Amino acid sequence: MADIEPVEYAHGFRICDEACDGCLACMRGCPTHAIRVRHGKASVRAELCIDCGSCLRACPRSAIVATTRTLEEFAHFSYKVAIPSPVLFGQFPREVRPEHIVQGLLAAGFDAVWDYGIDLGLTTRAIADYVDDWEGPRPLVNMNCPVIIRLIQVSYPRMVDQLLQMQPPRELAGREIKARYSRELGLPPERIAAIYVTPCQARTISIIQPAEGGSSWLDGTVGIPQVYNAILEEARRASDAGEQPTAPSLVRSSGMLRWATPRAFPYALRRHRYLAVTGLPNVIRVFDDVERGKLKDIDFLECYACWAGCGNGNLTVDNVYVGQAKLQTMMAELPPADPETQAEIERRFPLEEFALEFPFAPRVHPNAGSLRERVRRVNEAETVLEVLPGYDCGLCGAPACRVLARDVAAGEALASDCVLLSPRRLAELRRERPQAS
Amino acid sequence: MPDELLSRSFEVRGRDFEKAGEASTEIKSLLKALEIDPDVIRRTVVVAFEAEMNVVMYADQGTVSFVVTDDDIGIRVADRGPGIPDLDLALQEGWSTATDEMREMGFGFGMGLPNIRRNSDSFTVESQVGEGTVISSRINLDGVA
Repeated sequence: MADIEPVEYAHGFRICDEACDGCLACMRGCPTHAIRVRHGKASVRAELCIDCGSCLRACPRSAIVATTRTLEEFAHFSYKVAIPSPVLFGQFPREVRPEHIVQGLLAAGFDAVWDYGIDLGLTTRAIADYVDDWEGPRPLVNMNCPVIIRLIQVSYPRMVDQLLQMQPPRELAGREIKARYSRELGLPPERIAAIYVTPCQARTISIIQPAEGGSSWLDGTVGIPQVYNAILEEARRASDAGEQPTAPSLVRSSGMLRWATPRAFPYALRRHRYLAVTGLPNVIRVFDDVERGKLKDIDFLECYACWAGCGNGNLTVDNVYVGQAKLQTMMAELPPADPETQAEIERRFPLEEFALEFPFAPRVHPNAGSLRERVRRVNEAETVLEVLPGYDCGLCGAPACRVLARDVAAGEALASDCVLLSPRRLAELRRERPQAS
Repeated sequence: MPDELLSRSFEVRGRDFEKAGEASTEIKSLLKALEIDPDVIRRTVVVAFEAEMNVVMYADQGTVSFVVTDDDIGIRVADRGPGIPDLDLALQEGWSTATDEMREMGFGFGMGLPNIRRNSDSFTVESQVGEGTVISSRINLDGVA
């Protein structure tokens, strides 16, 4: 472990110190105990953060913001191609048709909109083959939610082999976009931008720093809110002018839209025992059961960090229930598969590389110290914990008494940071946050 | 004998399926706090979990002991229970005396002892019919921790 290079973990959000008033809401909402509030400001321990975005939702002052880009920041590319998350198609009022959405993305400044249903279909087929052929420990876990991958790397190292060791569909799209447009336009691949229109900031981080340590074919993301108004305006303009949309729909099958729901593979995995689990606390409960050997006869878990799946990502606009209802209605009106998509899947499937550059591995903590030093810290933390009150009030700036005890043992905090043990800390808090007292 | 750097023990009650697995979960948390190599954690937790489940399924009461030395991790599980009449048979994969009820809960597929043996670097089991069973397992740190 000692000779592993420490990795700087990048994250898809930042905390604005000026706006943070040290209220503890983000720290209490963090499922991996990655946040501390010291000297009245929140900070994140990069190696523990899994980019779930719980802190962004929890912050009442919007002091934590997702770091997506605006389309203008991609201006230096010669040709910009949008890869629309299927979630996007359920975000608009019913009269805004998929054709309008494609046209709206072009009006927003993209040069082309990618026919992403093909990459989704290719991946569905590859997942079905993977699950059919798998002889290792079960259940397998999907790889298309970046937060779930990171949760396993940080908290369930035993389960990394159960992750589908496969590229997510957006990477297949990125590779194909670079190849096709550089061929058709005679441009070098680095002049062509493959940009994912994302429902969450976690996809952004999966492009900046893929979980397996490889590199991404994509050049970045824009959040759905950043293209929402442009699409809505274009749809209104077209309808006021009485124009029929000229762009293709790109939504030809329910199989494609199903990727925006929490149960994306009911048909492909129909012969397997398959559970869909959404919401980080629920996923954690199910993974605990897996670790305790309770779900050995389940073949596949489809897990999403956001409750109700990607339609509830932190960069979506519509109410999640309204979005789901719209997607369900659209799916009911479409065939499960369409000939155009199927023909392209047949052509590309044998040529496609689904494997990852590197396999997923557990996240290793840098600078752990010698075994004896680590044992000393664990023993000291237990001694400190005995004197702490056990209320997990969080006022010391750590989310739970046992977390403070660990920080004390690591020399990063003092037992007297506990307000119940020390009047000093209470006086400090009153100074730092007078409005709370 | 190398120094014991850290040791803990946990009481396990027979047929308490509600709390089954808690000792192994505690051991996992400790190993994670110690930042032990993930593969060593995985193997240790498999050993602790299978041995703990044997106590829950068959015995009245047992103790799971856990030690860390400079060189290895030790798991010792001693129970007061029926004992194992034929150890060779019990060590065969797929051999099980589990009831249907246990199997419905996803246990009792006859992989317990074989799994413990497979994940240990050294392993002993001693059993006295009518008195109880003692399982000892060591997992080497091999400098990886």
